[in-house]
Amino acid sequence: MLRIANLVKSYGKADPVLKGLDLEVPGESMVSIIGASGAGKSTLIRCINRLVEPTSGTIELNGVKLTELKGKALRLARRRIGMVFQSFNLVDRLTVMENVQSGRLGYIPTWRAALRRYPKQDIRRAFELMERVGIAHYANKRADALSGGERQRVGVVRALMQEPEILLADEPTASLDPKTSEQIMALLRSLSRELHLPVLINIHNVAEAKAYTDRIVGMRYGRIIFDDVPAKLDDEAMERIYSGIPAEDRRADAPIPAEASAIPAERQVEAQPS
Amino acid sequence: MVSLDTRPEDWVRFTPRQRLTRFAIYAFVLISIAWAMSNVEINWPWLLDAPQQMGDLFGRMVPPDASNLGTILRVLVETVNIATIATGAGVILSLPVAYIAAQNTTPNQATLWLGRFILVTSRSVNTIIWALLFVAIFGPGVLAGILAITFRSLGFLGKLMGEAIEEIDRRPVEALEATGASKGKVILYAIVPQVLPAFWAVSILRWDINIRESTVLGLVGAGGIGLVLQGAIDTFNWQEAATILLAILALVVIGEFISAWLRRQII
Amino acid sequence: MKSPLPETWSKPPAIANPVLRYGLILAVAVYAVWAIGTLPFDWARISDGVGRAGRIFSGAFPPSFERPGLMLEGFLESLQIAIIATAAGVLLSVPIALMSARNLAPMPVYILGRGIIICARSFHPVIVAIIFVKAVGFGPLAGMLTLMVYSIGFVAKMLAERIEEIDWGQVEAVRAAGASYLSTLIYAVFPQIMPRQIGLSIYQLDSNLRASAVVGIVGAGGIGATLANAFKRYDYDFALAIIMVIVGAILISEAVSGMIRKRIW
Repeated sequence: MLRIANLVKSYGKADPVLKGLDLEVPGESMVSIIGASGAGKSTLIRCINRLVEPTSGTIELNGVKLTELKGKALRLARRRIGMVFQSFNLVDRLTVMENVQSGRLGYIPTWRAALRRYPKQDIRRAFELMERVGIAHYANKRADALSGGERQRVGVVRALMQEPEILLADEPTASLDPKTSEQIMALLRSLSRELHLPVLINIHNVAEAKAYTDRIVGMRYGRIIFDDVPAKLDDEAMERIYSGIPAEDRRADAPIPAEASAIPAERQVEAQPS
Repeated sequence: MVSLDTRPEDWVRFTPRQRLTRFAIYAFVLISIAWAMSNVEINWPWLLDAPQQMGDLFGRMVPPDASNLGTILRVLVETVNIATIATGAGVILSLPVAYIAAQNTTPNQATLWLGRFILVTSRSVNTIIWALLFVAIFGPGVLAGILAITFRSLGFLGKLMGEAIEEIDRRPVEALEATGASKGKVILYAIVPQVLPAFWAVSILRWDINIRESTVLGLVGAGGIGLVLQGAIDTFNWQEAATILLAILALVVIGEFISAWLRRQII
Repeated sequence: MKSPLPETWSKPPAIANPVLRYGLILAVAVYAVWAIGTLPFDWARISDGVGRAGRIFSGAFPPSFERPGLMLEGFLESLQIAIIATAAGVLLSVPIALMSARNLAPMPVYILGRGIIICARSFHPVIVAIIFVKAVGFGPLAGMLTLMVYSIGFVAKMLAERIEEIDWGQVEAVRAAGASYLSTLIYAVFPQIMPRQIGLSIYQLDSNLRASAVVGIVGAGGIGATLANAFKRYDYDFALAIIMVIVGAILISEAVSGMIRKRIW
């Protein structure tokens, strides 16, 4: 269970990018986060494993308060959080196997990492996962010799090798063509079910979000304004999430009442004291 | 720039402003050269005599005397050893310095300045000057020579390696930090593989340069073939000097071939 | 029947052929042991040296700037040598580079040109300086000639490479219009190589400034001579001062040269 409470992220004196978010992700669900550019989706995801430092608020994963950890404790906690990136973020010159095993770096001693003498069970698990996603025959190939979709699969296997309690994905399909994109989304969904793994995906393709995820969280300008099943994401909700421009949002900014998800932004402006 | 309503006969290549700038630059260059030439003591008779002197010297070098070839080759090998060992030592020592001199990997501002200071000092003091220093400390011999080349190479290697480290793709670094890997493992897996090609290329290049540098160490007493060459010149044994020069030429050319071939293999 | 999952894995080695791979490792190991073995390391002398180093460094601090006149004179002479050598060397590099470009020069001329460049580059400037000193005597003249050769070795080579990379279409166009050989050079070749030539000249000026500090050590004029004298007379504090001035000048020169080259790129 991932619990986010009152998460705020601001850079200097400018408007906060995240304005006090609350979110709960119970185990074994696939949740997508949608929103226009600049809504704060990527910042939210990166705050969870503290690639971006939250300004205030708490993030708790299965009872561990991630926001309070430092140094070694933070590293140990990060092992339990897997992440898949838009640009795959593989080490191009290393082989697929080495890239996949780099997911275990938080677990194995340095000498094993340096000499590439990985533990037997890690090698077995790697081949198992690579078979599952269909890249086992690439084990000895350099990562940059693979296609985009194949590289993202390597990224997924790397994340899974960590035996994570949650999987984060930051626009995992943005760099892929439509067909490959769907394959990856389908893969994430089936893995999520098989491994009972909660998956939080930052995505801008709303059709894919509707088709492959169980719950959609819509963000707008640093706040969550929609949180429901895909079926409830109708045109009106889409309008709320995606219309408008940041300048208007800045002018209309006001504290949001608890039932904000039911009030469209335009009506919020009228409700504001002048 | 000329505008559209300039008459054809008015076309000029440069605007008045550009002409002024170009004139100023030319003037500056010419004045510098004139200043240099007027101030430096050139003994004009000697200058005009120079081609004849060179020809004379060249004549005395021919034919090259190869009677001492055995010694020459032995010392040449010693010269190569000095260059190779010193390059190896320099490479090893330059890695930590490059690490702290690169903006993206340095622990803090102080280490960044320390790293940069070490590299700049090493680069700005010529190998020969280092050799003078080490000969004063350790006495004449190959030790002084090896240390001189090591210290000079440190700056060259460290600067280029530091630049290679600064140019890496940060994204795999971010990804591995997200898996909970410690700093050392992140370096091993995300940084080292990216800088490895540059590492080899720069090391081989420096070895090539060091071969050339080590030929002159002997001239200040720091070992290698320079000493033999100095001996031949001081005793006016021009024909032996010619042999030595040809041997040096051959060494440098072969060294360049090997180095170019090795660098091609890296890519 | 699916085969069981592998439990071991090793990274494919960089050199596939095992004979070549182990042979290479063995050769390197043998060389390292032998090379280090042939070097005479006198441990007594080394420990002496550490003591002497202490004495030298304490003698060198604080650096003595008491003879600024001498330093300035030496430094200015080095600067003058560098300027003249760069100007002459760069001018001479142009015809030599034209001779050494495969796309412009016929084969025998090409070989001659490249030969000149190889000879100019292979000898360390100090060796060249010694020879010039013997030929034309001590003093800045030898230094200038040395650095001219040094400049040609670098600038002509880089320029020749640039010439070999030019857009041949431009040459053809001008030739097709009926231009003479010289006009073709001026209109089609020079405009393409000028930016690189200017960059190289500035870089070489910087290089020559560094080198002129050193050729003086063997008698070719400039601040190198001042430095060598200081060392010989055990004036370590003066020597340190000179070294600091040299380093300072090199830093300034490098910064200025870098700035100028960035602006013209």
